[in-house]
Amino acid sequence: MGQRFLDLRDLSHYYGAFPALQGVTLQLPPGRVGLLGPNGAGKSTLLKILMGLIPPSSGTGWVFDVPLADDRDPAANRRLRQLIGFMPEADALIPGLTGLEYVALAGELYGMPRAQAQRRAHEVLGFLGLEEARYRPVEGYSLGMKQRVKLAQALVHDPVVLLLDEPTSGLDPAGRDAFLRLIEELGRDHGKSVLLSTHLLADVQAVCEYVVILAGGRVRGEGTVSQLCARRHDRFRIRYQGDPQRFRQALQAKQIRLLEEADAGEFRVAVPDNWTNRRFFELALATGGVIRCLVQDDETLEELFLRLIGN
Amino acid sequence: MAMISEQLLRYRTWHGQFQQPIYASLALARVSLRMMLRRKLFWGLYALALMVFFFFFYGQYLVVWIQQQTASQTIFLGGIPVKLENLTKFLDRLHLNGTAHTYGNLIWFQGYISTVILALAGSIVIGNDFHYRSLPFYLSKPISRWHYLLGKCLGIALVVNLLTTLPALLLFLQAGLLYDWKSYYFTHLRQLVGILGYGAILTISLSLLLTATAIWVKRTIPLIMVWTGLFVLCRMLAGFLVDGQQLSPRWRLIDLWNNYYLLGLWCLDADRESIRPAAQPEFAEALLTVTIVAMICLGYLRQRIQAVEIIG
Repeated sequence: MGQRFLDLRDLSHYYGAFPALQGVTLQLPPGRVGLLGPNGAGKSTLLKILMGLIPPSSGTGWVFDVPLADDRDPAANRRLRQLIGFMPEADALIPGLTGLEYVALAGELYGMPRAQAQRRAHEVLGFLGLEEARYRPVEGYSLGMKQRVKLAQALVHDPVVLLLDEPTSGLDPAGRDAFLRLIEELGRDHGKSVLLSTHLLADVQAVCEYVVILAGGRVRGEGTVSQLCARRHDRFRIRYQGDPQRFRQALQAKQIRLLEEADAGEFRVAVPDNWTNRRFFELALATGGVIRCLVQDDETLEELFLRLIGN
Repeated sequence: MAMISEQLLRYRTWHGQFQQPIYASLALARVSLRMMLRRKLFWGLYALALMVFFFFFYGQYLVVWIQQQTASQTIFLGGIPVKLENLTKFLDRLHLNGTAHTYGNLIWFQGYISTVILALAGSIVIGNDFHYRSLPFYLSKPISRWHYLLGKCLGIALVVNLLTTLPALLLFLQAGLLYDWKSYYFTHLRQLVGILGYGAILTISLSLLLTATAIWVKRTIPLIMVWTGLFVLCRMLAGFLVDGQQLSPRWRLIDLWNNYYLLGLWCLDADRESIRPAAQPEFAEALLTVTIVAMICLGYLRQRIQAVEIIG
């Protein structure tokens, strides 16, 4: 249909003189998007703007053609928030309520009629595997169940967009995998567009089709994981037959950065500017060996992330 | 059959219509009331409130019955003859006679019980939202902080009115049926309005005060301490200063409960000379004090409930 999940144009936000976001421009298609960034990158500020909690200092934006609006325009703000199901990082549970009451209340707060909210709460809790625990107080749930009931309250009104803030926080590896599969299923099979805000690269790699990396209030990288990681023209994977120690020394003497040495003779290297591939072969000849394989190497998402953050 | 049940477990879409946010406030009020009614500890207090109401209810009936049944008789108590006017005079001191003080005293007693309930319930209804960081749950929804506050205050208002205004209205209804209802309801219309006014004053003031103090201290014990300070210690201090030290009656303004009582009796059109204790500030001064306290609470709530804080 041509609708964009996020259409942000030169979005900026300042806390006084401090620039929390600067010139953020993104056009993202519907799908599962990972929002990566270190502390202070501007992720929280961006989420607040998308939720309509604060206005941008400048710039415009749309979420599925619904313009960003804060509470100065209550009707537009309501329309925006009804589009989004938000799963907060904080506990955000209400002691004393059962799971069913909690999710049904969420539905009513979103604006659903009471009977429909209750029926929908039953459905969503069943979908998320909490049908047997729905009549128990939420404070008695395990951590995994708490995360699922928080997801249920975000899902109860069938939003187009799911905004998940650190959704796997505190989960054990098995629980984390199960939760990530749920998120992936919601995005892949049920047409939800998911914005996953996290600092866990593995979560993004497991679930997201698209990644946006924020640092210092600016977008440092965006694209699919494979696109982002394949943009390095200065990295190579070499298989060398000969004396690996001599070859290693020769590489280092030419200011070539050794990233990884796997098996003997397997090297991942980063070359300086103006390097030519021919020089690898010259080095191999000089050290009495032979280059068996020379291919351009992708960096991992972690390496990309650290590189962008470092810059 | 297996396929059908499997389908039921899969995610389904929803295509309903959203309602206005005011319905969210009603949902909040309903949930708050449910949480307060669930606590078995409060049932004893509800029973006490019911007993107080029954005392007034049957007491008012007893006064009328005595007057009607023994109008021209002499009563013997322990063999001692007692004139009827002396007996009813004693009962009239309790103001169980369908006058302004009847309703004022009932609401005064019931209000104190509701204050105790609110002190215990404050952390459940509101304090926990801040202590357990539940606020993101509420404010991430398409409602404003004022809808959130309205919902919480409505829940408190329901409890206050169930314990004060509603029993007073039933008492008013009973008084009309005991006396000549055709004349009573019309001649005492001011009392009806007064009951609603006194109830409204208590509802608004206690809602805002409880919400503000519960958000401030969050937990039950500190809330009880603050509430005790406000409604017990201040009352004792005011009594000491005005009745003991003979200072200006304006010192009684620090007694919030007395301010509510004064305003309630003004709503009920009670005779000022009949108010006890006698040294009282002006009605306008009490109204000003109550208004200032409410505005302070509102200002604190506006500053404390910030939607932007839901994302850390």
